[in-house]
Amino acid sequence: MSYPAVSGDIEVDREAGKGGPAFAAYIRGLGPANIIMGVITAVILFVFVAPFLLVIVVSFGEKIEGASWVWGFDFSNYIRVFVGVDWPNSVTLLYALKLYYTLAYAVLGSLIAVGFAFPFTYFMTQGSRRSQAMWLVFVLASLSMSEVFVVMGWDILLSNRSGLPALLKAVGITSWLKDTGWLAVLRDWDLASPRNVKFKTSQLATVLTMAYLVWPYAVILLFAPLSRIDRSMIEAARTMGAGSLTVLRTIVLPAVRLPVLGSLLLLFVYLLGTYVSVTYFAAPAHQTLPVSIYESIRGATLNAPFGAAQAVILLITAGIFIGFSLMLARLAERKA
Amino acid sequence: MPGLVLAGIKKTYGPVTAVDNIDLTFPKGKLTALLGPSGCGKTTLLRMIAGLEDPSRGTISLDGDDITEKPANKRKFGMVFQSFALFPHMSVAENVAYSLAIAGVDKATRRARAEELLDLVKMAGFEDRRIGQLSGGQRQRVAIARALAQKPDVFLLDEPMSALDAQLREAMQVELRLLQQKLDITTIVVTHDQREAMTMADQIVVMSNGRYEQVGSPSEIYHRPATAFVASFIGKANFLKGKAKDGGVDVGEFHFRPEPAASFLNGSAVQIACRPENVTIGAADETGPNRVSGTVTFLRDIGPTREIYVETPVGSVISEMPASTELVFAKGETVSAEFPAHALRLFPDTGDTAGASHGSGAGDRKVTAVSDKRDVAA
Amino acid sequence: MIKAAFKQGFMVLCAIYVALPIMVVCLSALNGGRSMLFPPEDPTLGRFLDFFVNEPVWLNSLENSVIIALSAATLAILITWPIAYDQWKKDTKFSKVLASLAGLPFALPPIVFGVGLSFLWTFIGGLGHMFTGILSHTALLAALPLVTISIGLQSIDRAHLDAAATMGASEGTILRTIILPQTLSYTLSGFFFVVVLSFHEFIVMFFVSASSYATVTLQIFNSLRNGFTPTMAVGAITFLIVSLIVFSLTARFGDLPRLMGADQARKD
Repeated sequence: MSYPAVSGDIEVDREAGKGGPAFAAYIRGLGPANIIMGVITAVILFVFVAPFLLVIVVSFGEKIEGASWVWGFDFSNYIRVFVGVDWPNSVTLLYALKLYYTLAYAVLGSLIAVGFAFPFTYFMTQGSRRSQAMWLVFVLASLSMSEVFVVMGWDILLSNRSGLPALLKAVGITSWLKDTGWLAVLRDWDLASPRNVKFKTSQLATVLTMAYLVWPYAVILLFAPLSRIDRSMIEAARTMGAGSLTVLRTIVLPAVRLPVLGSLLLLFVYLLGTYVSVTYFAAPAHQTLPVSIYESIRGATLNAPFGAAQAVILLITAGIFIGFSLMLARLAERKA
Repeated sequence: MPGLVLAGIKKTYGPVTAVDNIDLTFPKGKLTALLGPSGCGKTTLLRMIAGLEDPSRGTISLDGDDITEKPANKRKFGMVFQSFALFPHMSVAENVAYSLAIAGVDKATRRARAEELLDLVKMAGFEDRRIGQLSGGQRQRVAIARALAQKPDVFLLDEPMSALDAQLREAMQVELRLLQQKLDITTIVVTHDQREAMTMADQIVVMSNGRYEQVGSPSEIYHRPATAFVASFIGKANFLKGKAKDGGVDVGEFHFRPEPAASFLNGSAVQIACRPENVTIGAADETGPNRVSGTVTFLRDIGPTREIYVETPVGSVISEMPASTELVFAKGETVSAEFPAHALRLFPDTGDTAGASHGSGAGDRKVTAVSDKRDVAA
Repeated sequence: MIKAAFKQGFMVLCAIYVALPIMVVCLSALNGGRSMLFPPEDPTLGRFLDFFVNEPVWLNSLENSVIIALSAATLAILITWPIAYDQWKKDTKFSKVLASLAGLPFALPPIVFGVGLSFLWTFIGGLGHMFTGILSHTALLAALPLVTISIGLQSIDRAHLDAAATMGASEGTILRTIILPQTLSYTLSGFFFVVVLSFHEFIVMFFVSASSYATVTLQIFNSLRNGFTPTMAVGAITFLIVSLIVFSLTARFGDLPRLMGADQARKD
C-alpha cells in the first residue's frame, strides 16, 4: 500500500524540481505589464465573478434547522420556488406568484419608462449641443438619485395624510368620486379605501415608481442611437414633403427600432432587482422575489440556500434577456 | 555618399501585398516625391521609412548603416502627418519642443529652440497659443517646425497639403521647397498631386500597385514617361491603340510613324501616347505624315490655352493650343490633327493606364484623354 | 409654432415629473417639527444643523459614505485603466473577455451580486468590514470608468501616437505624455460617476455591511422604520448637490454628449 504513495511523492518532487526554476524564470520573464494584468485578472475572478458562482453553488445546499446550512446537491430549493415545499403531495404557488409579480412589474415599468423617454429624448437630440449637455446633467442627476430617496419622495407625494389623496380630498374630487360611484370602482381596482383614494399600498404606485426609477436610464440609453440619426436624412425627407410625424414613422422609428428594443430589455433586467419600491408600495401579497430573497438571506426566514435559489432564478431570467439585448445590439451593428 | 537606401522592401498584410520589392535611393539633401494614386502603397512605404511599420522583407539603410530594425523613436526622422497630429493638450511651443522635452533638454533651451523654429516657419509670436486657435495653414507650419525640432536626418511629409485649400496649397509648396533647400535636408514627400510633386521635387518616384513605375526628375517624368501608366497619370495624354508595323503603328487604316522608329515586333499590341499640347489642329486640306482628319465636337477656352476636341477615325483626340493662335475653328467643322513624330511615345498595350476608362473591344473608344481630374481645379 | 410649443411643453412636463419627488424631499428638510410634512411647517434650517452637527449618527454615516465612495472610485480606476488600455492596445480575445467580466456585476441585477458578495465575504471572514464594502462597490461600479476610459482611448487620434514616436518617444513616454493627458477628463468622469453612484447605492451595501456600519443611504433606510424625518432629507439634498456639481463639471470640462454616445461629428 505504501509503495505507490511513495512513488507518487517522488514524482511530485521531481516535477517540483523541474518546474520550480522554470516557473521562476517564467515569472522573471514577465514584464511589469504582465504582472499587473495577472493581478487584475485575479481580482476580477475573485471579486467580480466568484460571487455569482457562489450564489449558484449555495443554491444547491441545504438549510439545517436551528443552525446555518450545509453544502449539498439537490434541486429541492428550486422545486420549492416553483411548486412549493410539499410537492408532489400539494402544490403551493406562493413563490411562483412572486416571480410572476417580479416579471410583471418589470415589464410594465420598463414599457412606461421607454414610452415617455422616447419622445423626450427625440426632442432633446434636436436641440443644440449646449442644451443637450444641460438636459443630460439634469437626467444624470436624477439617474443617480438613490432608490431610497425616490421612494421617500413618492411616499410623501402619495401618502394618505399629506400627499395626493389629501389634495384630492381638499379640492373636493374625492366627494365627487363618492357621489358618482367611481370610488367603488377604484376600490375594486385596489386604489381606494372606503373614505378616500389611496395609492399606498397599490400596484399602480409600485409600477409608477419603478418606471420613474428607470426613466433617466431610458433617456441615456436612447440618447446615443437617436443623436446618431443622420440629420441630412431627416432634412431630405422634409424636402420631399414629409411632415414631422411621417419623418418619425418612416425615418426615425425604423432606424432606432433595435436600440429601443434593446433598451427595453436592459431596463427590464434592471427592474428585476428592485427592492425598496416594492417593500414600500406593494402589499405583502403582491411582493416580488427580491423581497423574499432578502427575507431568506438576512431577514426573518434565514434560509441562505433557498434565497440563493431564488437569486439564481432572477440571474437566469436576467441572463436570458441580456443575451437577447446583446443579440439585438449585434444585429443593429451589422445593419449599420 | 548615398543618403537613404531601400533594398528589396516588401510589405504584405495577410494575402494583400501593399509594397512589392522596392529598391530606391533617396539622395542626401534632395527632395523626393512619392507620387501615385491612393492605395498605391506610397504611404505604407513612407511609414516603413519612418519606422512606424516593419517591412516584411528587405533592408533600409541610412548613410551605410542598416536601420531596418530600429524603432521609430530611435531613428530621429522628423515627420509631418496628413492631419498634422498636433497635440491639443499642449501649447504651440510645447508641441514644437516635444522631442526636446522627452529627451530631457532644459526648459530655457527648449523655449529658445521653439522660438527659433517658429521664426523659421514665420510663426513667431504664436508660442503660447492653443492648437485649437490656429487655422489650417498655421497648423501646418507648426507641424513642420515640430518635425524639424530634433534636427532630423530625414524629413518625411505625408500628404502635407491635403488639408489646405487650393490657393494656400500652391504658396505652401513653394515655401516648403525653399525651406528644404535652405536647410539642405533629405526630404521625402508623399502626394497624389502631380503638380505638387513637380513643383517641389528633385526626384519623383511614380508608384502604382505597390511598385514604382518610374524614377526621374520632373521633366524626365513628364517628357519621357517610361510606361503608359506614367504617361496617363502625369499630365494628360491622348492614347491610340494599334498594332506595330515596320517601326511604326497601324491604328485602323492609319499608319503612325514615330521618331526615332520603335522596335516592337510586327503585329504586337501597342499604344501611342501623345500630349494634347503636342497635337496641332490645322485646316482639313493640309496633308503630311501622322495627320488624320476629323470633326470638331467641342471647344473651350481655359485661360492661356484652348482645348479642341476632335472626333477622328482613330478615336476622339484632344488638342491643346495657345489661346492666342490665329486659327479659329467652329463646332462641326472638318479639320485635320497632326501628331508630330518626335512627340509620340509608344508603349506595349497592357491596358495599364491610370485613366482606366477605356475598353479593349473593337467598337470601344480608343482614346483616354483626361487622366488627372484632380488637377483641373489647380 | 404649435409643434415647438408641444415639444417644449412635453419636455417641461417630463422635467417636472422627474423633479417633483426630489423637490418634495428637499423642501421637507425645512420642516420645523420631527414629522415629514409637505408643504413644510414652521420652516427652519435646523435640520441641517442636526445632520451635520448634532446627531453623530448622520455625520458618521456621511464619513463612511465618503470613505467608501472615494476608495471604491480609486480602486475602480486602478483596475479598469489597465483593462481598457490592454483592450485598446492589443484587442485580444483575452482582453475582451476580461472587459466583459469586469462589466458583469453592473449588468446583472445588483441584488444577486449583493447576495453573492455576502456569501464571499462570509467565507473569508470579511463580512461587515469596511474594506469589503469598498471592494463590493468597486466591483459593482467598475463598468462605468471602464466605459468612459474606453471612449477616451478611442477618441485619441492614432496619428498622435505615430507623431510622438517619430519624435523619439518610447511606448512608456507616449503613455505618459500623450495618452494619459488626453484621457484625463474621461478618467475623471469615470471616477466621479463611481463616487456619485456609490453614494446612492443601496442594495449591495445593504447585504455586505451586515448592519455593522452604515452609509447615509443605508442609515436613511434603517431610520425609515420609525418613519421619515426631515433630517434624512438633508442627506438627500447633500447627495443631490454633489451629483449636480459632478455632472455639471463633466459637462463643462468634458464632452458630456459624446460621453453618452452622441455622434462626434455634430457640433453646434
